[in-house]
Amino acid sequence: MHIQELILRLQRFWADRGCLIGQPYDIEKGAGTMNPLTFFGALGKKPWNVAYVEPSRRPADGRYGENPFRVYKHLQFQVILKPSPAKVQELYIESLSALGIDLSKHDLRFEEDNWESPTLGAWGVGWQVVLDGMEISQFTYFQQVGGLDCRPVSAELTYGIERICMFLGGYDNIFDLTWGEVKTDEGVFPITYRQVRQREEFELSAYSFEHADLNLHRTLFDAFEKEGWRLLKDHGHFRSAYEQALKMSHTFNVLDARGAVSTTERPGVIKRVRDLASSCAKAYLEHEEPSTDSTEDTDSKTKIAGVAK
Amino acid sequence: MSGTRTFLLELHCEEIPARFLEPLTAELELKLSEWLKANQLDLAAEDDNEATSFSIGLYSPRKLTWEVLNVPVQQPDQTETQVGPPQKMCLDAEGQPTQTGLKFAEKWGVDFAAVRFEQPAGKKEPCAVVTLTKKGRPTKDLLAEAMPGLITSLHVPKAMRWGNSEFEFVRPIRNVLCLFGEEVVDFTVDGVRSSNSTWGHRLHHMANPAPVEIQRPEDYEAALEKAGVVVSFDQRRTRMEAQLHNLAKAIDGRVVMDEELLDTLAEIVEFPMIVRGEFPKEFLELPKEVLVTSLKEHQKSFCIEDAKGELLPFFLAAANRMDDPAGFVKAGNEWVLKARLYDARFFFAEDRKSKLELRLDKLNSLTFQRDLGTYREKSIRIRDIADAVARKIDPGMIDDLRGAAMVCKCDLRTLMVGEFPELQGVMGGEYLRLEGKTNIWLAVKEHYHPTSADDGLPSTPMGSALALADKLDTVVGCFAVGIIPSGSKDPLALRRAGQGVVRILWEQAWAVDVMELARIALGVVGAKATKPESDTLQALESFFRDRVAYQLEQAGYAGPVRRSALPVGWSNLVDLKARCEALAAFAEDPRFASLAQSAKRIGNILKDEAPAETFESTVLKQAEEKALAARLAALESAPDTTTLLTTLAELAQPLEAFFTAVMVKCEDAALRAARLSLLHRLRLAFLRVADFSQWQ
Repeated sequence: MHIQELILRLQRFWADRGCLIGQPYDIEKGAGTMNPLTFFGALGKKPWNVAYVEPSRRPADGRYGENPFRVYKHLQFQVILKPSPAKVQELYIESLSALGIDLSKHDLRFEEDNWESPTLGAWGVGWQVVLDGMEISQFTYFQQVGGLDCRPVSAELTYGIERICMFLGGYDNIFDLTWGEVKTDEGVFPITYRQVRQREEFELSAYSFEHADLNLHRTLFDAFEKEGWRLLKDHGHFRSAYEQALKMSHTFNVLDARGAVSTTERPGVIKRVRDLASSCAKAYLEHEEPSTDSTEDTDSKTKIAGVAK
Repeated sequence: MSGTRTFLLELHCEEIPARFLEPLTAELELKLSEWLKANQLDLAAEDDNEATSFSIGLYSPRKLTWEVLNVPVQQPDQTETQVGPPQKMCLDAEGQPTQTGLKFAEKWGVDFAAVRFEQPAGKKEPCAVVTLTKKGRPTKDLLAEAMPGLITSLHVPKAMRWGNSEFEFVRPIRNVLCLFGEEVVDFTVDGVRSSNSTWGHRLHHMANPAPVEIQRPEDYEAALEKAGVVVSFDQRRTRMEAQLHNLAKAIDGRVVMDEELLDTLAEIVEFPMIVRGEFPKEFLELPKEVLVTSLKEHQKSFCIEDAKGELLPFFLAAANRMDDPAGFVKAGNEWVLKARLYDARFFFAEDRKSKLELRLDKLNSLTFQRDLGTYREKSIRIRDIADAVARKIDPGMIDDLRGAAMVCKCDLRTLMVGEFPELQGVMGGEYLRLEGKTNIWLAVKEHYHPTSADDGLPSTPMGSALALADKLDTVVGCFAVGIIPSGSKDPLALRRAGQGVVRILWEQAWAVDVMELARIALGVVGAKATKPESDTLQALESFFRDRVAYQLEQAGYAGPVRRSALPVGWSNLVDLKARCEALAAFAEDPRFASLAQSAKRIGNILKDEAPAETFESTVLKQAEEKALAARLAALESAPDTTTLLTTLAELAQPLEAFFTAVMVKCEDAALRAARLSLLHRLRLAFLRVADFSQWQ
């Protein structure tokens, strides 16, 4: 199955089951969880079902477009269901059938795999879903996001698009996948993953391993952090502040891919991202669901924070 | 109503992590049996019951199940006695009830006439006593009341919430089956109401949407097997083991067995099936350890080897279903494995592009421990400690050993060990072998051993010496910077490393003092130490003494042998082992029990004395003390431990006679001094082999 067909089918499936179809968020990120549709959506009491594709960048996984299995950027298909429905596993299994997987002939297992994102202050328990020995999805019940308990609990389903495509088609090389077909007056032209992505993989790998200016990235990391706190503290703006946390996270990943962050430094740097992200989560909840025992509104809080600074 | 029934409880959940299945099952099994006992619903064997109650715990990825057989249908009536105030407070002078007496009767809801006066055990006077009879209740009702509490009392290490509920459990509970005989035990857990039905394998329910009804607990396992679930772990394991062997045999091979992996496989499927797949032959270029580890860690698969122990290009993986009708399961596993092996082969080729030793400088950026520095620094310390060790045991190996020490940690910087940390040592050894370093590769490969009590030592003396130096550096270095295991806290597994040091000396029979080695290692750690040397040595002494005591226990010596041999010297393990061997022959000898008594008395008598080393035997008067003195020479001149112990055994009776007849601390100063000296000399002779006062 083509990449785009897989995505379209997943979107159709989840839209039919009461999900909003979201869009990728236009800032570099390591995983679909970081999209505000999930990060903020998983917080608070209101029901929230959403599904979307998220291109996910992992600078350390870059292989210059030469490794048949590993890439700098891959596509995640992300589904959030809040509260987690009682038949969530059955729903997930149905979605596989929608992709044309006849489960009466395959081996499906849910093996323990707990998820944690130290940069987001988030963790959950769940499984990796294994089809005929291949991990095709990650399944998580969020317990905390931004350091806050999730009540109710969301279920997060993450499909690895390329992997599933390769597996279904028996491909041994990710670049041999077909993205889709271009039809023109001259005919039909199948377009491969190689045509769409290989050069990008090569350049972005080279960038993370060789060309990225480390001093610039260190400076950027500090600047994004400062900017984030300024937005949050002076203006009470958690959405724009959260964008800064995302930028910090990606900047850190670039530095990390170069081995520019020592083992001892690492936890401290990660904590700086987490602190900002967690404060954004708190501010979001205060904005969405002001606690009943506190009469002050968000504006007066902002002013107090502003004065205190 | 009479008779017994079988109780059945099944919690059907979303997939429970394999590691929690057995502990959770065992815990509720225990709690159930305690609850049955507390409610007098337990038919115990010692009460001469025809049928006794017993429980069975079953589990599969989605099920936790308990069966208890022979549970009485009705709780017996229970009588209990309540004791109240003393008689004199309950009855006045005329024998009429007082206010206190009436209140006591009222408290237990009985008429005062039912109150008796008797003296209960432990009381000094007669007190008011009532006997209450509680009507036994139907077991089914009791079970229904108790189950929710018992289930929620389970200790779940990584509990989770789901949906809108505040309920916490290991994974969401989706169905509860609970029967007592043919009747449903009716209760609710987190909104799920118990019933007499459950769910089988997901595949089964694709064709059969209705749940599986269980009429009687006795039908449970068979009904579930029909629905695609073998709910007994033992059954799944046994069947999988048989399939593994058959599938290997069919291609003239045998399974590279791994009990732990088989356990895991039996825990992650509901129906046991093994599939055999193939991988391209060219991957057999990889070292066997790499293939076995990669298959196990990434794909939970077994390797197959031929009669010579060479791997065959096949693997065995588990599937959670009964068959593989389209061959998808086999093909899928083969596809994934190929991807994994492709990675492994890439790492192997990349790693071999440069010599192992060239990674030494890269170890500069790999921290061993903050205060102790990098792995490069550790390598140098291992070399210096190994050098000193070699000088004591075999100076011939010094050069090779020094060379091995400098490369033994280099594989930590290889891609392969980055991917599979458990291949540390193995990869270094393999890469050295391929570089043609014939004299050191095996020592490097095996230098992490022994990794546990069941694991063997490195197979060569050089490997053992290298392992010894590495472990000494780890233990002594950490102690010197204040990292000392205490209680359950031992994050760097120093106890295991220390045990390795002791076992190597013990099994290699190297007569080197452990504490001397520790002092050498401490010297090598040098300025890295942050704690005073005397504190470190003191802590190390007590640490290694504990390790040695454990070694004696592991070696199977009886308590008296261990307790008495250790106090007179433990740091030279060869000497200690020889003494223990000799003592072991007397472990059951009653004369030694008597000797132990005498040794204790000698210890007490000499406690605050300063006896002279020599005495005039002519001063001694009584026959018993002269007899003892006469044997002293033989004892003191015994040429070896066994002779000494034989002589000692013969001394038991004379010593007993001495203590019966002789009053050591007599008035006559000269006589007293001579007696004290005699005992002192006897004790010194004992202590050459053991402190017998610790024998019992």
